Amino acid sequence: MDLFLSQLLNGIGNGVVYASLALALVLIFRTTGFLNFAQGEMALFSTYVTWQLTDWGLPVVASILISMALAFIMGVVIERVVIRPVEGGSPLVAVIVTLGLFLAFNSISQLIFGTESKVLPSAFPDSSWDVGGIRITAQTVGLMVVLAAECLLLYWLLQRTKLGLAFRAVSSNAESSKLVGISVGSMLALGWGLSAALGALAGAMVVPTTPALTAASLQAVLVYSFAGAALGGFDSPLGAVVGGITIGVAQALTIQYIDPLNDIELVVPFALIGLVLLFRPSGLFGRHVVERV
Amino acid sequence: MRNSGGRSLSRPARRRLRALAALLVLALVAAACGGGDRDDETTDTTSGGGNGDEAIIDTSNCTGDTATGIEGNVIKLGTSLPQSGLYSAFAEILRGESAYFEYVNEELGGVEIAGETYQIELVNRDDEYQAEQTVAAVTELINDESVFALFNVVGTKNNLAIRDLVNDQCVPNLFAATGSPAWGNTDYPWTLGTALVPYPLEMKALVDYLSANDPDASIAVLRANDDFGAAYSETLKSLIEGTDLTIAGEETYNVELFDTKSQITSLAATNADVLVVGATLIGCPDALINVGASSWEPMIYMSGTCTSKTLMEAAGDDADGVFTVLPTLDPANPANDSNEAMALYKEKVAQYQSEADPTNGIVAYGWTAAALLVELLEQSPAADRVAVMETARAFEASDVGILRPGATVSTSADDWFLGETFSLVQYNLADQFFADVGDLIEEDGNTAEYTPESLING
Amino acid sequence: MNTDRFTPRLLMTVVAAVLILAALAYLPQYYGESQTKLYAEAIYIAIAALGLNLLTGYSGQVSIGHGAFYGLGAYGTAILMFDHDWNFFATLPVVAVLTFVVGAAVGFPALRLSGMYLALITLGLATLFPDLVTRFVKGTGGTSLVQPRNRPVPPEWAESFASEPDQWWYYITLAIAVVMLVLLWNLVRGRFGRALLAVRDHEAAATTVGIDAARVKVSAFAISALYAGIAGSCSVLITGLANAGRVEVFQQSIFFLVAVVIGGTATVIGPVVGAFVVVFLDDWAGEVIADKPVLSPAIFGIALILLMYVLPDGLVGGSRRAVAVLRRRFGSRAEPIAPPVPT
Repeated sequence: MDLFLSQLLNGIGNGVVYASLALALVLIFRTTGFLNFAQGEMALFSTYVTWQLTDWGLPVVASILISMALAFIMGVVIERVVIRPVEGGSPLVAVIVTLGLFLAFNSISQLIFGTESKVLPSAFPDSSWDVGGIRITAQTVGLMVVLAAECLLLYWLLQRTKLGLAFRAVSSNAESSKLVGISVGSMLALGWGLSAALGALAGAMVVPTTPALTAASLQAVLVYSFAGAALGGFDSPLGAVVGGITIGVAQALTIQYIDPLNDIELVVPFALIGLVLLFRPSGLFGRHVVERV
Repeated sequence: MRNSGGRSLSRPARRRLRALAALLVLALVAAACGGGDRDDETTDTTSGGGNGDEAIIDTSNCTGDTATGIEGNVIKLGTSLPQSGLYSAFAEILRGESAYFEYVNEELGGVEIAGETYQIELVNRDDEYQAEQTVAAVTELINDESVFALFNVVGTKNNLAIRDLVNDQCVPNLFAATGSPAWGNTDYPWTLGTALVPYPLEMKALVDYLSANDPDASIAVLRANDDFGAAYSETLKSLIEGTDLTIAGEETYNVELFDTKSQITSLAATNADVLVVGATLIGCPDALINVGASSWEPMIYMSGTCTSKTLMEAAGDDADGVFTVLPTLDPANPANDSNEAMALYKEKVAQYQSEADPTNGIVAYGWTAAALLVELLEQSPAADRVAVMETARAFEASDVGILRPGATVSTSADDWFLGETFSLVQYNLADQFFADVGDLIEEDGNTAEYTPESLING
Repeated sequence: MNTDRFTPRLLMTVVAAVLILAALAYLPQYYGESQTKLYAEAIYIAIAALGLNLLTGYSGQVSIGHGAFYGLGAYGTAILMFDHDWNFFATLPVVAVLTFVVGAAVGFPALRLSGMYLALITLGLATLFPDLVTRFVKGTGGTSLVQPRNRPVPPEWAESFASEPDQWWYYITLAIAVVMLVLLWNLVRGRFGRALLAVRDHEAAATTVGIDAARVKVSAFAISALYAGIAGSCSVLITGLANAGRVEVFQQSIFFLVAVVIGGTATVIGPVVGAFVVVFLDDWAGEVIADKPVLSPAIFGIALILLMYVLPDGLVGGSRRAVAVLRRRFGSRAEPIAPPVPT
């Protein structure tokens, strides 16, 4: 039983990691209506910036905040300069542009910050508690708190503010929103900025749960984050969190209890997604879109 | 072999050619010009081999000129390693190598083979650690760059992918940068492994240590889900037969995901006395950190591939007391600075490759590999491929690069493994370096004996 | 559809095709082994891109996982050749059936999923495939590499133009590519092509005119998987090995997609042009800054973005636009502007 609980906790620990990046994916989808494949690598770049700031001697929390602010600016600038020329065209073209950004960010990060791995200090204390033989780390608890806060904030922003309404209008129908006086361009730029900032936060939360910051740090996580977001429904922050945690737990329990799936435990999350999407094509928490002929 | 005009052009020239390719070719076709630049003449030069009757290497199938790659007094070598992408940290090896070659070229006048002095030119290619790119890179190095030999190509898969190629063309592939037991396969005489400790010998050192200090220990194994991880667990299982050591559990982790948390939780439940970490790169510190976070306190043995300073730093407090093996002096250990070879290494790296960090074990590895190559070339009786490869099969060297003082590395007709002299070491957190445990371990000629046959000839 | 017999347009197309083929056929006579290999790589990537275009261009579904089908094809061929000593050509039908069936099985969710979710499922495929290979394939030296040694040797009758194996392998790949292209051409010009376009442009509307949208979509997926599989088989012929790391599979998947989009979606020849651009762009990116190799992916990525700005409708679309502009400027004498048919 202890073993089960430990593995469950491992799964939740990993799951919140996936969820925090999945939230950034959901945000950009909610605000701009498409997937940004460069999300993880933009977050990687911001995480290197955070590392650089801590390396210069700034406190961790201050470094994260500055890096988030810089990431926001970076997101806005990228949307204005790089994405703008292909907006409104074929979504495929936008996909290729974000794939181009994906390659560029990874390689430029390595050029600027070097190829050696870096140790990024955690924003949370290195303590842990023994609860009935199970060890709970401050890292996991801290991540859950941050995640809950992010979730609430996003919910409020997207559902309870005029800004959220404008985001929804732009992502579902840019033409009509123009007619009602929403500045589509600035909404999209704002969406990119916000999700880049959220990505910077996710990177700073995620990387300290791994031994070191390398160019590969976020790619493995991103796959699971995509899976989590897909499972939960791409447009729901709550869905992203539930989806991310479900995948983390499924993965940990598979490693412990299903030996034939050793090394191929990725089968489980994707089978889960396949199943969920067969019955609910918009994910667990996604909204169903009705199409008119 | 072809001697096409296209090949002998310089790289920029060929690039321009390629840009114009379609136009050019169309024009050529239109003009019905039959004579292409590709020369189909095949020159089968069969060489007798350097040592007459005692030849270890069958050269009867070799095509091509065995002195290719030497022009005037320049000997051209080729290497392929990841320099971009996710594994570009390995590119630091090149800095160590370049520092040594520049030192030899500029301060020692070059490398002396059979009375002649040659400058060394190292041509490098980026393969992103992808085997098919290594094949492409090596084809280019052999055909277009006409290198004399390949040197220190990085990665097990990458070297396996080119081993038929170098066999067919009789190009020496020297000091392949991996500790895989596959380099003992005598069907592939043109591939020589490096001075890294073969992975099976690491397990031999561990089993010997345990037999002396904790003879009935139970061992848990965490290993990578590939051939690398299998080399550890399979050797270990065969070595503990007949001892009182037991395997308590084994878990694999995905080398491309680096996450070992659930695996360690599962192994911790066995409460074994010893944990073997057959992992590499970030997998190593990740395992150490996860053990540290659990209530399990095993003795830990970690793969010799994990000894880089950055990986140990990443593990933080949890790296304290970890055992592993080192074939070289630890460049991070200040006590070694008084060693002459170490002092030379640090001075020359600072002089020729100022961007490199000399305390980084990867740089030190490159330096030592380059020094071994120069030693090998100087021992060769002639500047031709067969002679060099024959020498590589009966090679003995000591005090090369920053190998341990007094340690000899050697090969012979029936022992193809080089890095069989090393030390068991333990990481000391307070001092941030590895300290020797016991004496120098000399296992010369024994690797094949301890290694399951399938790992060598598989 | 066949009213355009003997138009100047058709004549031009035929002449261009013959010239291009002649040029491609001449390449291995001119270039050495390395360059020949690069061109061969472009050709087999073109095969995969041709098929993916059926899915992406004609059917409007995005896949970033066709590297997995490519890998499946490569392993199918390599294992049959290495373990069972099959002839290369004999492996092709097996690979075709295998990838078609797996493609149909995976494509089944496509019935229910919108483009983005399908992209995700296929991304999962690209992520999972390398794990499956590492787990189940034990090849050279215990790794997942499979390296057949029995690649076809040039026959005597080909002595005059393919005396060396790499030339012969190039010609085989080229021949397979031509066959695959002609097959696809026929497919998209017929009923199936029209059904695909109808489903892409408005699924619900297409259903009302009696098109079985589900069957059309799954077929498109399965056929595209088959094309990727055959491309994988050809890659074994050219590189001599089957391999599937995560980075490799992802990269192949991206290459195919990029080739389709750069070349121009929903044109038969576009992906072929795109494949050549991708392969040579990647090669160029690796060489252009020789002392900073770490930057080569960035150069490739930035070049992609710039290409998308200049030619958002691909090279073929872009050149059509250019031709249209020229016609307007200098007056069109020869023919009225043709309706957009797949070419």
